[in-house]
Amino acid sequence: MRSLALAAMAEPADNLRERSGALAAACSGDLPAFERLMRQYERLVLVTALRLSGNLPDAQDVSQEVFLKLYRNLGKMTSDEAVAGWLYRVTVNACHDLRRRRGHEDSLELAGQLASGGVDPHQALTGGERARALELSLRMLPEKERAALVLRDLEGLSTEDVARALGSSEATVRSQVSKARVKVKGFVERYFGRRS
Amino acid sequence: MNCAEWETRVALYAGGDLTGGEAADVERHLGECSACQAFRSDLRDTLAVLQSAHADLPAPGDFTAVRSRVMAELQHRALPWRRLAWISGVAVAAAAALLVALWPARVAPEAPRLLASIPPAPQVAKVSPPAAVRPVVRRVVTHLASAPRRAPLTIKWQTGDPNIVIYWIAD
Repeated sequence: MRSLALAAMAEPADNLRERSGALAAACSGDLPAFERLMRQYERLVLVTALRLSGNLPDAQDVSQEVFLKLYRNLGKMTSDEAVAGWLYRVTVNACHDLRRRRGHEDSLELAGQLASGGVDPHQALTGGERARALELSLRMLPEKERAALVLRDLEGLSTEDVARALGSSEATVRSQVSKARVKVKGFVERYFGRRS
Repeated sequence: MNCAEWETRVALYAGGDLTGGEAADVERHLGECSACQAFRSDLRDTLAVLQSAHADLPAPGDFTAVRSRVMAELQHRALPWRRLAWISGVAVAAAAALLVALWPARVAPEAPRLLASIPPAPQVAKVSPPAAVRPVVRRVVTHLASAPRRAPLTIKWQTGDPNIVIYWIAD
């Protein structure tokens, strides 16, 4: 599994040097350098936000909020690895805040969508329909389990990095990931009218 | 065998989260339990589909939109400071110009210097003591020595402008 440090090192050496330079320049108030920094981390933030929030407009709002917060906290960023870990943590928290602001509207809507499942088993073979079921099942998970599953199974972070990003222990993360996997599997089976 | 107690460990095993002794225990159980084998297989399928369903990234324009919004917000926030800096620069320049324009007026004009020429007091002649008592008449004679005519009192006012001098002459 990929750790945050490995994620940063996955870039070519030249990019890494530029990354450090962009961070240093952005810290000194250079706006174009901050834009370069955003380009380096926009996938991390927007995709994580999209996986957690479930829709693009919300994910874009969250990303905007996260990058503005990053700009205000640039002085605290000691390294690129620190930036990545910080961004995961703040993105998860921003998505949680958004979900709390929205209240139960989303849950009721999702419950309706899942209840309308039980589609033709032949349709279960289509990738699009299965993906839609998975998307809905992710959104039905409790927020901490969803965050743990997204960071561990979709972002590919190590359990240690997930624990750091979520401010939890590794044992808690393992428990959350395990429960989330079982629930997602159960959601998908119910959606397609099958029982294990 | 109660497989519910294995569910958590199999779910971790399916995602590659178990190593060493824990993984060996689960593998041993899977070798004996077809239900748990099916459970693990379904879990792996679900995870694989979940990952492939999220493999697609948003369009490049979606990233650009976020970047543009953030940059616009940062530039908008920077504007009041720039405007304030411009206004204060103008204010400082105006204050400096005003100070330079009013500088002579701010200095208190030099008070006119009073230059008075007072004539010396007239000298009084010494009265010579009587040589002898002359009881008949006591006469004191006072003479103003040389009794010069008094010089007029002249007061000279020196203004701040060296070319303007005011004289006041009193006789």
